[in-house]
Amino acid sequence: MANAKQEALELVFKQPTFVSKVFSQKTILNTISVVSVFVVWALLVHFQVYRFSLLPSPAEVLEWGREWVTTKVFWIDTGMTTARVLVGVTAAYVIGIPLGLMIGWKKVFSDLSFPMLEILRPIPAPAYLPIAILLLPWQEASVAFIPFIDALFPVLLNTIIGVKLIDRDYFRAAQCLGSSPRQIFWHVVLPGALPSISSGCAIGMGIGWMGAVVGEMITGKWGLGYRIWESYILLRYPLIIDGMIAIGILGFASSKLIRYLTIRLVPWRKAITESLDESITK
Amino acid sequence: MPNNTAIYGSQFWMQFQRKFVNWSLVRKILSMAIFILFWTILVQFIDYFHQIPTPKAVFLAIFELPVPVVLKNIGISFFRVLGGFFVGVLIGFPVGVAIGYSRILNHLIFPSFEMVRPIPPIAWIPLTVLFFINFESQAIFLTFYGAFFPIVYNTMGGISEVDICLPRAAMSFGVGKKLMLWKVILPAAMPQVFTGMKLAMGFAWILVVAAEMMSNKGGMGYYVWYNHAVMDYPHVVLAMGIIGLCGAICSVGVGVVGNYFTRWQRFV
Repeated sequence: MANAKQEALELVFKQPTFVSKVFSQKTILNTISVVSVFVVWALLVHFQVYRFSLLPSPAEVLEWGREWVTTKVFWIDTGMTTARVLVGVTAAYVIGIPLGLMIGWKKVFSDLSFPMLEILRPIPAPAYLPIAILLLPWQEASVAFIPFIDALFPVLLNTIIGVKLIDRDYFRAAQCLGSSPRQIFWHVVLPGALPSISSGCAIGMGIGWMGAVVGEMITGKWGLGYRIWESYILLRYPLIIDGMIAIGILGFASSKLIRYLTIRLVPWRKAITESLDESITK
Repeated sequence: MPNNTAIYGSQFWMQFQRKFVNWSLVRKILSMAIFILFWTILVQFIDYFHQIPTPKAVFLAIFELPVPVVLKNIGISFFRVLGGFFVGVLIGFPVGVAIGYSRILNHLIFPSFEMVRPIPPIAWIPLTVLFFINFESQAIFLTFYGAFFPIVYNTMGGISEVDICLPRAAMSFGVGKKLMLWKVILPAAMPQVFTGMKLAMGFAWILVVAAEMMSNKGGMGYYVWYNHAVMDYPHVVLAMGIIGLCGAICSVGVGVVGNYFTRWQRFV
């Protein structure tokens, strides 16, 4: 009887073997998807469809990229861009998170500061560049200012939403138990908002890379964005695509890293999202 | 008795406040005043900031604004943003629906999107300059590219996160596949689709400004950069404000259209 039951269970919940995992429909389709991008690109360049004749082929890009990675310039560029992004985005975290917590928590504070930020928010980050150049004496700082502005508003808004989504009962319970505002801040507001803050940080990191590239293309001496622009001017077209790939990989990796770290740091994230889902479905 | 009247008096005052004084609004207006005051003090009294234009200079710049030029530049920027945005919606929305609805299409298309998405749209500028002949099509491609991924990802997310009870309920009423898509799944996904569109509109404005700053083909980004080049900083700040206003108008416009398409939410 027990054996029959086990057999039935095995039939229903069949453990995927290695072979069935590798040759599953999903992996096959995914491989087709990724490979087809390169194949279509290579074919378009090879048969010179429309203006694709001007673009470099994947083989050329790979060749140039291999050479580029071994040069010193590549590592300096990567380091510079990473440093700018990190400075700008860290500044956005340092300013955005406390500000967002206060705006979300205290109505008075929100009224006094949020309208101003709402006016500044729709102005696109590149438009701040002239002001950044005026305001900051050092060119590096004005390049780092764009990732800062780009990252600030996602971080800020996610923090505010995180605080607003905390169950009001937690505040009431803490007050009933006689906590001071300071205790409420450290034990209710901050932990409650952290899951949302973590996703805001990951989004901010992703957008920060975009801002750094803008800044470097317009004003800059080093950095991947500048290198892309320079390779365009010097007609080294394969390097443009290499630069794009490098930025893409770095941006993706840093965003994923932040997400991974914050999930580790906020183990109650899952519990909170689950309880949120429950309260919505109820 | 005097005690009582004091209490009643304060209650009367509280009721009066509650009815006629909107403290939240007062504080909001006050915050603006404080912001402008702070800005003035910073520029007037701290030497470090002396190059920044004062609020007064920015206000006076309004009267010197070359209105036809600015209107023309606004029109150019709007054309580019809306052109790219609508192309993004026309292509991104069906693609998002397809990969949200069909698992096979998702497996077939999604990984290649995941591969291309981390490349910042700005980094595409040199390639678009190579590929497209005139600046209009380059700018529209860039805004399209910036708008495309937020729309696709949010449409896909919206459709895959539809409450499973809704299609099941519809199925038990004998609803066919076509009706299911149009009457159940798409309306349920609409709130998130419009969140994506709002994000897309923001990206489109960022990209249009960046692209215009790097070229000399008109538009508000060019206008900002031109004023920076001739060191007319009050007009730089004013132009930034105008760009912000245009972006806000576009965002509100998307919100209004979104309210129409998610009007079922009012009855839930």
